[in-house]
Amino acid sequence: MTQYIFFSGKGGVGKTSMACTHAIRSADEGKRTLIVTTDPASNLSDTFEQRIGHQITPIGGVPNLWAMEIDPDQATQEYIDRAMAPIRLAFPAQIVQVMEEQMSGPCTAEVAAFDRFTDFLEAPDDGSTAFDVVIFDTAPTGHTIRLLELPAEWSESINAASSGNGQTCIGPAAAIQDAKNKYERALAAMRESGQTCFVFVLHPEAISIKETQRAIGELNKLGINNYRLIINGIIPPEGAENSLFAARAEMQSHYLTQIEAELPYLKQRMFLLAGEIKGVERLRQVGKIFFEGTAAKTFVAEHVPPQLKTLATPLEDVRARLQPNGHQRTLFFAGKGGVGKTVASCITAVWLARQGHKTLLLTTDPAAHLGDVLDSPVGDVIAPVEGQANLWAVKIDPKAAAETYKTRILEDARKRGRPEKAIEVMEEELNSPCTEEMAAFDKFIEYASQDEWDSVVFDTAPTGHTLRLLELPVDWSKQLDVKIFASVDTTAADDVAKKRFGKVIEMMRDPVQSTFTFVMYPEATPILEAWRAARELGTVGIHPGLVVANMVIPAGEAGSSFANNRRLMQEKYLVEIGERFGLPVAQIPLLPKEIKGLPMLAELGERIYGTEKVPV
Amino acid sequence: MTQPIPISALFPSQVKAVDVEIFDPPMCCPTGMCGPTIDQTLLDLNEMLMTLESKGVSVARYQMASHPNMFLSNTEVMKIVREKQMAALPIVVVHGKVIKVGGYPTKAEVEKHLEEAKS
Repeated sequence: MTQYIFFSGKGGVGKTSMACTHAIRSADEGKRTLIVTTDPASNLSDTFEQRIGHQITPIGGVPNLWAMEIDPDQATQEYIDRAMAPIRLAFPAQIVQVMEEQMSGPCTAEVAAFDRFTDFLEAPDDGSTAFDVVIFDTAPTGHTIRLLELPAEWSESINAASSGNGQTCIGPAAAIQDAKNKYERALAAMRESGQTCFVFVLHPEAISIKETQRAIGELNKLGINNYRLIINGIIPPEGAENSLFAARAEMQSHYLTQIEAELPYLKQRMFLLAGEIKGVERLRQVGKIFFEGTAAKTFVAEHVPPQLKTLATPLEDVRARLQPNGHQRTLFFAGKGGVGKTVASCITAVWLARQGHKTLLLTTDPAAHLGDVLDSPVGDVIAPVEGQANLWAVKIDPKAAAETYKTRILEDARKRGRPEKAIEVMEEELNSPCTEEMAAFDKFIEYASQDEWDSVVFDTAPTGHTLRLLELPVDWSKQLDVKIFASVDTTAADDVAKKRFGKVIEMMRDPVQSTFTFVMYPEATPILEAWRAARELGTVGIHPGLVVANMVIPAGEAGSSFANNRRLMQEKYLVEIGERFGLPVAQIPLLPKEIKGLPMLAELGERIYGTEKVPV
Repeated sequence: MTQPIPISALFPSQVKAVDVEIFDPPMCCPTGMCGPTIDQTLLDLNEMLMTLESKGVSVARYQMASHPNMFLSNTEVMKIVREKQMAALPIVVVHGKVIKVGGYPTKAEVEKHLEEAKS
């Protein structure tokens, strides 16, 4: 029987490194092993230092190991091709084309990615490519949970479709009927403790612990029970020779105690290493440290010469990208989950508010940490942040947004005098998985189009998810173009909707009205991921205007060989960030404690952006 | 992996007679509940069909994606689809007879044809 291991956890906790370490260990033990990523911003190729892509690829230097990166676009195309095959045979070209355009919507992509993912939970018919172990380096938690929740919702939708009105919004029903059993089998396999294990990778930090508890809670609801924890990034004894790292080690010991007390699962620990984890050879070294308890200092950092270039961007260049400039300005913080988007957006929003700009801070991250960092509750309606004048905050919870959206639609229907029975059908229909996505976006537009703010700071969802969300307005105006059977009533409504989307797209493309800021650690993989994400945004005409490098070890505090090795590594990557993006770079320093609360945010804002006001 | 449906399987061996059949244009969601705006026309249609059903009229709606066989097995419908392509849809059939092409009917229209078919 094939064993399945899912790696879960917030992006940036070392999930991929740990998944790859396990994969190599498993293969080295002679088990036929496959590692799969469903992350739209995958970094398996970077970690193994070889091209992988959307097919099962043997990994050089490791017999018995294969890898695959599920490409969401390609998965979507394959799904469409499969569903459209009978249609293409029988219908005229014009109709085929319209159907294909309609299938290019965001819901199909979600369906397709999941569909491809479940393929790996099936035993192959011919037995030829059976694996002993399949390791999933899953997408960041919020998104992962959504994917795992889908089969339950779909099973309901599919049942409703086949029994009730024969209508469903999730792709061609014929294809789905076939898929239903497959999704049920997938979920059954995930629930089987003897076959499947969920490994949570976390840091000994408050937000990471909270996130893990939340994620385990969600999986519990789905009837999944087999968990293991890897506590990563623990500062090794030699690291604590430096006072900054010693302070952080102290902070960690407090959280390690909390983890012992609150998370009653099998736990393993992994040290923060002095150098980067890349390539098969170094992954094997990591395996020795993790599985055999070899000392962390045996992981020798690669030699990195100190950088001669100046790394600091003049503060006025950074400020010029952030301050409202006679217009309302929307600041988007993009980057992989866990790299510090929330921290960066909170620092920036507090700084703007303290400069006298009326500022709205909002998040669409389903696992919203905004309230944790502000140390002040953030709800589903816009409310002033207590203790900071000029600052308001709001959280877009996709589930809550979907409820509001549903209520609004149904009330409208009642006002139009539709009978209760028709409204019941509508309500059932609105429970489709697409409603959440749509409602969250609808809500974002609502806030983004309010004129009363000088600044809107948007702590976005993780990269892959963000891109899909932000590409929606483009997709939707395309969909409106193909919606040719609209009544007069609907045409008018569509025009209004189209104008609204158009305005938002225009705002996102205009560097005067908005700035896209990419947040990243000065490390190889996060830089590459951000750069890819930026390039993808470029295809919809949106270009980044600022980079925030997070957790930068201050030059004056790198006084031990462990800290110095990490500082040198960061310097190399700070130079790379400058060269790759060609943008102003702001730096958030690595601090002895977690960033939390308004006073600390205010102080950091001044340290990072300065106090000087830019004349408007 | 989901297999493409073989063309032979597209033709069911028996089709039960339905009073009113609607051959929809391709759309994301036949209820009008999907997409950035709610399509009131489709909601009106749903409501009208529910009213007819409550009076004992049997109604069926076919999507090209989910019911390609219903299109393919109806020679007259396929002839119109091939000639007029997108402009042909939706096609409305009452007791096997095409009563409307390129638009949804009103309740009065459907009832008129149901009466005629009876007599």
